[in-house]
Amino acid sequence: MTAPRTIPRRTFLAALGAGATALATTSCSDDSNGSQAAADLDSAGDPAQASGELDVWVLQEDAVNPVSRASLDRFFGGTDVKANLITEPNESYRDVLQTIIDQDERPDIFFNWGGGSIRSYVRAGLVEDLTPYLEEDSEFKNAFLQSVLQAGQIDGAYYGIPMRTMQPKLMFYNTALFDQVGLEVPTTWQDFLDAVDAFAAEDITPVAVGAADQWPLLMWFEYLTDRLGGAQVFQDIAEGTGEGWAHPAITRTVETIRDLVDRGAFGDAFASVAYDDSGPLLSDGRAAMMLSGSWEYTNFLEDAPGFVTNSLAWGPFPALEDGEGDPENVAGNPTNYFSVHADSPLKEVAINYLKQEMASDTYVQDLLDVGDIPAVANIETLIEGHEHEEYFGFVYAMAANAPNFQLSWDQAIARPQAQPMLEAMENVFLGNLDAEGFVQANEDAAS
Amino acid sequence: MPSTSTARPNWLAGGLSAVWLVVVGVPILSMIVWGLTTEQAFRDAGPLAVPQVWTLGNVTEVIDRGFLDYYWNTAVVTVGSILLSLVLAVPAAYAIVRSKSWVAGASFRMFLLGLAIPAQAVIVPLYLIITEMGLYDTLIAVILPTVAFTLPLVILILSGALRDVPRDMYEAMTLDGAGSLRILLSAVVPMSRGSISAVCVFVGLTAWNSFIFPLIFIRDESKTMVTLGLREFQQEFAVDIPGLMMAVLLSAVPVFLLYVFARRWLIAGLAGVGGK
Amino acid sequence: MGYVLPAVVFFTVFAVVPLVLVVVLSFTSWPGFGDIRWTGLDNWERLIGDERVRESTGITLALTASTWLTQTPMAIAIGVWAAGRQRNRAVLSTIFFLPLLMSSAAIAVLFHRFLDPNYGMARDLGPLIGFPDGNILGTAHGAFLVIVFVSAWQWVPFHSLLYQAAARNVPTVLYDAATIDGAGRWDMFWRITLPQLRYTVVTSSVIMIVGSLITFETVLLITGGGPGGATRILPYLMYSAGFEAFEMGYASAIATVLVVVATAFSLLIVRFSGFTKMRSTLEGM
Repeated sequence: MTAPRTIPRRTFLAALGAGATALATTSCSDDSNGSQAAADLDSAGDPAQASGELDVWVLQEDAVNPVSRASLDRFFGGTDVKANLITEPNESYRDVLQTIIDQDERPDIFFNWGGGSIRSYVRAGLVEDLTPYLEEDSEFKNAFLQSVLQAGQIDGAYYGIPMRTMQPKLMFYNTALFDQVGLEVPTTWQDFLDAVDAFAAEDITPVAVGAADQWPLLMWFEYLTDRLGGAQVFQDIAEGTGEGWAHPAITRTVETIRDLVDRGAFGDAFASVAYDDSGPLLSDGRAAMMLSGSWEYTNFLEDAPGFVTNSLAWGPFPALEDGEGDPENVAGNPTNYFSVHADSPLKEVAINYLKQEMASDTYVQDLLDVGDIPAVANIETLIEGHEHEEYFGFVYAMAANAPNFQLSWDQAIARPQAQPMLEAMENVFLGNLDAEGFVQANEDAAS
Repeated sequence: MPSTSTARPNWLAGGLSAVWLVVVGVPILSMIVWGLTTEQAFRDAGPLAVPQVWTLGNVTEVIDRGFLDYYWNTAVVTVGSILLSLVLAVPAAYAIVRSKSWVAGASFRMFLLGLAIPAQAVIVPLYLIITEMGLYDTLIAVILPTVAFTLPLVILILSGALRDVPRDMYEAMTLDGAGSLRILLSAVVPMSRGSISAVCVFVGLTAWNSFIFPLIFIRDESKTMVTLGLREFQQEFAVDIPGLMMAVLLSAVPVFLLYVFARRWLIAGLAGVGGK
Repeated sequence: MGYVLPAVVFFTVFAVVPLVLVVVLSFTSWPGFGDIRWTGLDNWERLIGDERVRESTGITLALTASTWLTQTPMAIAIGVWAAGRQRNRAVLSTIFFLPLLMSSAAIAVLFHRFLDPNYGMARDLGPLIGFPDGNILGTAHGAFLVIVFVSAWQWVPFHSLLYQAAARNVPTVLYDAATIDGAGRWDMFWRITLPQLRYTVVTSSVIMIVGSLITFETVLLITGGGPGGATRILPYLMYSAGFEAFEMGYASAIATVLVVVATAFSLLIVRFSGFTKMRSTLEGM
């Protein structure tokens, strides 16, 4: 997994005359991976008719990697295609992909987050457009949850096939604290506000949020904007259409958040709290509620199994009584995708692999067994009887029934705008920016 | 102030020193105490009390998470950087001091100006050069820029010391028919032992502590250095504060041992870095 | 003599070329992969209009000034004190210099944990220093002070060491003569010790100022540039533009500003204190 990598950008340096001789002596080209050139093109996509090496790039994850490996073995076993599963740690995956995507060592199939994570590659013509394959084969297309498939669209075309778990964001509750103040877990916004006031009065932090890491704040913006103004508001922002950030729903979102902060919804020191410490606040009984990704359940299981059994509850983000958005809409990471490199000599085989394997019962079952909930349609029967059936069933239904599954904003917009946006969000929470300033900051970053 | 000046106690300096003692001592003491207890005992006692349970279990925990690999990589980078520095800088400093050619003078001026280049600021072109050379994700990618950016100060220190070597000695040896390489190895190196120590300390600590180079140039977790490993641990341990404290403590242990057994040498080296 | 060439070539490839390249890259667009495209003055036009760059420059300068103003007096005081030779001083200085043994990363991780309001000491100690909720890192001035404090914690020992070494070299006869004149300790400090330390002040200040301009790990690991960008110094902004947003061209423009500021500062100090004197001190090291 650590083949030496060289980037032949030598022309650029040579043009500058910058230490070119020193560079030339140490640069060596990597011929060990000459297989791609030698691979046979095969239009039917039958692995038995093809040969060569197929590099599949995924995140390094102890639980999921064997599932991917097994799936590749099922499809390519006994053929002349050697499928390599190349794993990269999460922190460096983007950088490495970025470095390698246009080089000889490029992957044939690669893991990604959809949206902004591959948009620049798509526009550079490096990612295969899968739309024709999905359109001509409705069985292939309908095998996946449509909201999730759509969330992976770029410029109206499909570039990714859902390959593992969905991670919708949802509310987590500590029921022991709710019992203490004599309240039920909220379903409407008014219930939620009542709960906030009740906990604040008892000196319990109503909502845990790791504001010091900025991104956890994003979830509040995503859900409030969606509930107040509907899915189109952010769609316009991401695509640069309509009113963009100037939409009145953004203003109302900012005002709502300001109001929550003023009520003490997040406690008095939320701005100093790191994300890693926010989950423990809930399981320790220091905070009553938390908005987080579905992955938080796994964290609780690991760090506080007693809490999961005794006093963990969950639910969708509360419905806003006067909002225009569909309360069934979901925000989060719709899923991770497999995309196919446009220059792969084994392109057809690669696409056929995704078609045959990504929604197969065996693959789905393997994923469920390691705690992943894949974005595959009609898998309720497979979830039944699962150790965490209750939670898995809820998360699956939440995603399956969502009219719109909004990709996390920071992934959906252009990368250079993400950091200014997160910073502006933090400043809203800190009381440094009002709605006008927030809109202005984002418009400045986008221009 | 030198003790000869007065026997009267210096209340102001003494008071300031006492404050500084608390400022330095409390965090270090807390780190040690917290690192030697369990997560549960720490939570029960709270951050300001002495915990009831003492354990070395965190050491195993930290090592299980790959800390020994981090040590090894850090050691490779440190030793590699020191050796490369000496190989490059000792002859260069010798040439600068001995040679009358304009090349030597110009080189010295270049190194002087190089003192002001902040390594962080050129990380983007370095990234370009490192990837171009095919060194991305190797420890060499950390060693080379570390050596380059310590080179100006290293050459200053060494050439300063070599200037102190009596001119007659060089001449006497040359008359004896010794080649310049022999003069370098048999006379210059032994006579500038003190400055070479200072260079070792300076380059060694810089390499040991390097952060931004491995942050940008290393991706494989098995090639991570201690500093970056701590960043990983900050997330992995999260609220397991004792575990994290032990990791921080262990990260300093090798240098601490050096301090205990070779304090005079280490301090003299550090002081030599700033000039006397 | 060929002895100087390897070092010169090496330094050229890994320091001088990058320095030139950073300026060149500031006129290009490069996402970290594929082609590098010339974009003329685009990055620079954007940089001039970028509110975040202006803020970051201000924060960087404020941090540098605060660093110098806190660390220099402390380092001189401790260095001069430690130059004494009594027994208890030796023991205490052993403790004083302990932070020198830890990396910036280790120190940052340590203080990040101490400052957590729920699991660290911030809620207990915060009220003593004006942060009743323990919300130190969550406030703009609190986070800024933390960076200044942690840098001081880390670097004062090193600078003290420089002053200690220099103070020990002050000729005793100067003090003896002053004692005969009946000068007090305070007088002697101002009239003898401090003037004798002036070259060390220059050396230490250059190291301190250039160092604080590039404070990076401390910010990355403790505040992440927050809250709300309050500690987003130029090196952090550059890192974020280059290796988070993958706008290498724009990051290079920011880096160029950083290089210019750092050089200007060093030159200013050197000029202010006399260039030739500085050179002779450096050469005499």
